[in-house]
Amino acid sequence: MINRFSKAVLVLGTLALGAGAANAASTTATAKAKILQQVTVTNTSDLDFGTIVTGAAASTVAVSSTGTRTCGAGLTCSGTTTAANFNVTGTIGQTVTISTTNASLTSGANSMSSTLAPSSGTLLLDGSDSFTVGGTLNVAANQADGNYAGQFTVTVNYQ
Amino acid sequence: MLFSMARFVRAAMLASAAAAAPVLAQGDLLVAPTRVVLDGERGTEVILNNIGNETAVYRVSLEVRRMTADGKLDEIAEAEASEAEKAALAMISYAPRRVELAPNQPQAIRIGVRAPEGLPDGEYRVHMLFRAIPDAKAPSAGDAPATGVSIALTPIYGVTIPVIVRQGSLRATASIAGAQLVDTPEGRGFSLDLTREGMRSTYGEIRVLKPGEAKPALQARGIAVYPEVARRNLTLPIPEEVAAKLAGPATVQYLEDGEEGGRVIAEAKVVLR
Repeated sequence: MINRFSKAVLVLGTLALGAGAANAASTTATAKAKILQQVTVTNTSDLDFGTIVTGAAASTVAVSSTGTRTCGAGLTCSGTTTAANFNVTGTIGQTVTISTTNASLTSGANSMSSTLAPSSGTLLLDGSDSFTVGGTLNVAANQADGNYAGQFTVTVNYQ
Repeated sequence: MLFSMARFVRAAMLASAAAAAPVLAQGDLLVAPTRVVLDGERGTEVILNNIGNETAVYRVSLEVRRMTADGKLDEIAEAEASEAEKAALAMISYAPRRVELAPNQPQAIRIGVRAPEGLPDGEYRVHMLFRAIPDAKAPSAGDAPATGVSIALTPIYGVTIPVIVRQGSLRATASIAGAQLVDTPEGRGFSLDLTREGMRSTYGEIRVLKPGEAKPALQARGIAVYPEVARRNLTLPIPEEVAAKLAGPATVQYLEDGEEGGRVIAEAKVVLR
């Protein structure tokens, strides 16, 4: 009984030694790393409607997702316009959705509204992805001159 | 050795930054992982990193979002949240909620779950929102025109990831219908409907395989069908050449995430046109 037991231990010992010898050249320590899927979002240009000289009637100024301006009737538009641009990097093949909110702009007691939209609601990431945000600014009749400021939100949503 | 390596990498990064001159804005961010599922675990961590070139303040918050029939995730005001959504908000704790990070400084956001006694079996979900609080862009008085209107719009941008808590043993099945090539305002698209049944969401990858080709002609990861929808549409923007390649007989598969086994959830043989 005792004899059989020690024999088993011996066999195990040999096995362990053999395994140890085979691995000696490559294994000396344990390394641990957890790889996580990541996403980055960077803002590379602002949404710029340029400068607008207002008119007697209500009108709109639109900046397309490519940054092209459409100046409504009765308004004079100048300066360069750009759509906001965002770069997204993530796992290739990953699908994300983009959502935006509209912005309300104020200058003292005066205000204006705008409707904004992303260039694409769904992105299938391929390693170098970007989307733009353009929109339409609603300019009231005889909109007071001034510097209007506002905020809008943009989110990249993972499912 | 490690230290000098890190310095080298950093120097190289700085050099490439100077060479390519990428525009980095305050509030740029990195989030990892992009999905959290807690199935029995008590908690986990999510990494938030400031990848901009200025110190920024980030806010972390939880919000309720519901999937729509077209696969969008609509934000729901807390007052309009259902019992299950309120329960999800109540059982998930997280910290810190506001962090100031220097450039390239990562921060772990800890997430903990405490399921209340007698919680009914089901899937509970919230969406964690990471975003920077920007310094407002001041319309500079110097540039102001004598007459007219000038605009300064500040984007507040960020990322949402789902945080899912599963209680009990939950099952779900899905099927694929109506796979076709479509025209969207942004160009060509591949569209299909996913139908789901069961107590939990399905999540995985859509693959379109052409006969005789091992490599999928189209692959889209990260497609979920959440319990609030029984059927959702998925429309993927695709380039013209991919659309041309997809046309004709094909096999469409919906596969579980590799980490969850990679099982085929649904498969359909279709003729795409």
